[in-house]
Amino acid sequence: MPYTAEAFQNEFLALGATEVNAIITVTSSGSEGGRRTAGATEIIIVDASGSMQAEGRINAARQAAKAAVECIDDGVNFAIIAGVSTAQQLFPAPGQLAVSSPETRAEAARSIDRLQASGGTAMGAWLLLAAQLFAQRPGDIAHAILLTDGDNGERQGYLETVLDSITGRFACDCRGVGVNWKVSELRKIATAMLGTVDIVAQPSGLTAAFEQMMTKAMGKTSADVQLKVWTPVNATVRFVKQVEPEVMDLTGKRVEDGPRAGRYPLGSWGAESRDYHVCIDVAPGAAGDEMLAARVSVVEGDTVHAQSLVRAVWTEDSALSTRINRQVAHYTGQAELADAIQSGIEARKAGDDRTATIKFGRAAQLAHASGNKATEELLATVVDIEDAATGTVRLRRKVEAADEMALDTRSTKTVRVGRSQ
Amino acid sequence: MTDCASCADERAAGAAFCEACGRPLGAPCPNCGAPGGVGADGYCENCGMLAGRPRDHIETDFGTVAAAVTDRGRRHHRNEDAMWLAVRGVDVDVVVSDGVSASFDPDVASEAAAGTAGALLAESPDVSTAILGAKQAVAGLASTGDPRRATSNPACTIVLATVRGAEINIGWVGDSRAYWLPPEGPAEQLTEDDSWATHAIAMGADPIAAMQDPKAHAITAWLGADAAPVLPRVGAFTVVGAGHLVLCSDGLWNYLPDPEAFASTVRAHLHAGGTLISAARSLVEFANAAGGADNITVALIPVSSPPPAENTGTDIDSPAESVVKE
Repeated sequence: MPYTAEAFQNEFLALGATEVNAIITVTSSGSEGGRRTAGATEIIIVDASGSMQAEGRINAARQAAKAAVECIDDGVNFAIIAGVSTAQQLFPAPGQLAVSSPETRAEAARSIDRLQASGGTAMGAWLLLAAQLFAQRPGDIAHAILLTDGDNGERQGYLETVLDSITGRFACDCRGVGVNWKVSELRKIATAMLGTVDIVAQPSGLTAAFEQMMTKAMGKTSADVQLKVWTPVNATVRFVKQVEPEVMDLTGKRVEDGPRAGRYPLGSWGAESRDYHVCIDVAPGAAGDEMLAARVSVVEGDTVHAQSLVRAVWTEDSALSTRINRQVAHYTGQAELADAIQSGIEARKAGDDRTATIKFGRAAQLAHASGNKATEELLATVVDIEDAATGTVRLRRKVEAADEMALDTRSTKTVRVGRSQ
Repeated sequence: MTDCASCADERAAGAAFCEACGRPLGAPCPNCGAPGGVGADGYCENCGMLAGRPRDHIETDFGTVAAAVTDRGRRHHRNEDAMWLAVRGVDVDVVVSDGVSASFDPDVASEAAAGTAGALLAESPDVSTAILGAKQAVAGLASTGDPRRATSNPACTIVLATVRGAEINIGWVGDSRAYWLPPEGPAEQLTEDDSWATHAIAMGADPIAAMQDPKAHAITAWLGADAAPVLPRVGAFTVVGAGHLVLCSDGLWNYLPDPEAFASTVRAHLHAGGTLISAARSLVEFANAAGGADNITVALIPVSSPPPAENTGTDIDSPAESVVKE
């Protein structure tokens, strides 16, 4: 797969400075002819708890699941799980995977029509069953869609235990329908499983959401791409974050790989481009010293697809060390934007209007300055933005739950910056 | 030298040398001493420090005809100076260029300037043509390579000279200098810096105060895409008697601003070393010992008039006597 990795940074540091920042843009033009380099398995998990009967959700979920199944390419393995107080395999026979074809997809659709909403919500159990099914196809591009409409009913801590045991086994995109589910819960799953989280406020939006997720999944042609980061002795990785298309902290997902190197999972890849922010703490150098702060490689198994260098050069020339790198500044702002929104929402829920106003104000300022229009518009549903440039906002008295949840789930969405310095 | 297993292995393997720093692969890191530490990209696999670049220190030795040395100095991470020295019989072409460190890829600029001007001088000894050719080459860099070059384009100074018998032609843009060093007395600066200080002094400012101003070394003319139309400043003179033509970047002359001190220091190094190359090398060491705050380049070319010589010393034309417009 033709990958490129390009580093954007200001390598010049003032004397005494020890923090090295770089944005690494990883781009793949996709595999030859768009063919997968590995097999693929898709699992659709649909919440079938009793609450799904409300507002015609279960019917919308059936339509959406069927639409998603229709998007599955011939030859891809798939299964459908009905989520109640336990995980029940709706299609095919328990413990099996079907191979997608017009016939199996039609069969799956008939099974989906029999889906009834009754019972509880046990996301840990659902994910565990999915992991067991995926385990039959090691090396596959493994992707799941999880739909729910409520809180997890499992005992405290069980979901976390499950996530710890299955993280990295497959990617999971999470969608909440309605407003009675918890953003923090689905975000926990999405973060552990390198997936996305979003709200589908109206059941009528489910079909489009499912089609979009499945189409995107079908575009993945490589299963397990990783970012390998080598750092010199006396240097530590402060963080590795995906910063585009959305913010995702990968720091905790590091797996050591020989002396001074670690691997961070990037999930499956198609023809796409993503940006990563790498921050390294190094020992300070003398004027004129040039250090390789990190060697960042895009790897798949033992194959190195692309590599770029993050450098540190110490200089007495403040004209050089004070140069702002546009990419680093932009994505530092985008990460702060996501944090500010999430802190603002938390503060508002806790009744701390003062903190909420400050956080949302900062968020409005950052969204405006960086040209992140989508986030600015979402913010405007929660606060009245009086002056975005100065971050002057006023909390709205009445906020639709769906609006606040949309702001929360989409707070991590970022925009790109132009490529020149 | 003791037998070294790793060296023997290298010889057996056909001696792989690092493309980045020229050191044998597997050599110990010059910074942390980690054995076999330096990787193929020139950085130590242990401490991450750059082992060096080929341009960090370059010497060109033409025996008794000419010699030049360029060096990274002590406080800059790379050598952004570049030089060109060509000798054909007794004809000498020499170019020194100093990259403007505030621009992007100034090392590429100086290399392009020195290389282009040198190649043009080999075709025709016209210094103005050579400078304008170098200007074009450096300006062209802005639209190639790193996109950041477009906003802060590569830029550099240039000083060059042709020596044809006793005839010397010089040309320059910026603050790299050419000096005439007679057997005794102060050195004669043949160039006039395109710098804020020189400009201010010319306008009547106090020379000492002007040189101490933080802007003193800001150059007012350079080669680069953003440069004003370049008017190469040129001069020509005929050597009477004998002496040395010295070209250098500010990495050397910053430590010897006084023409008297410049002359006595260069002469002392010429006498001490015995050869031109050892003198050039020890002048670089002198600048490094003084702090090595900038990249250092120095070229030494002895020039003498054929006997019988007049006894009036040198005859210097006004540096700006023939101005060529772009």
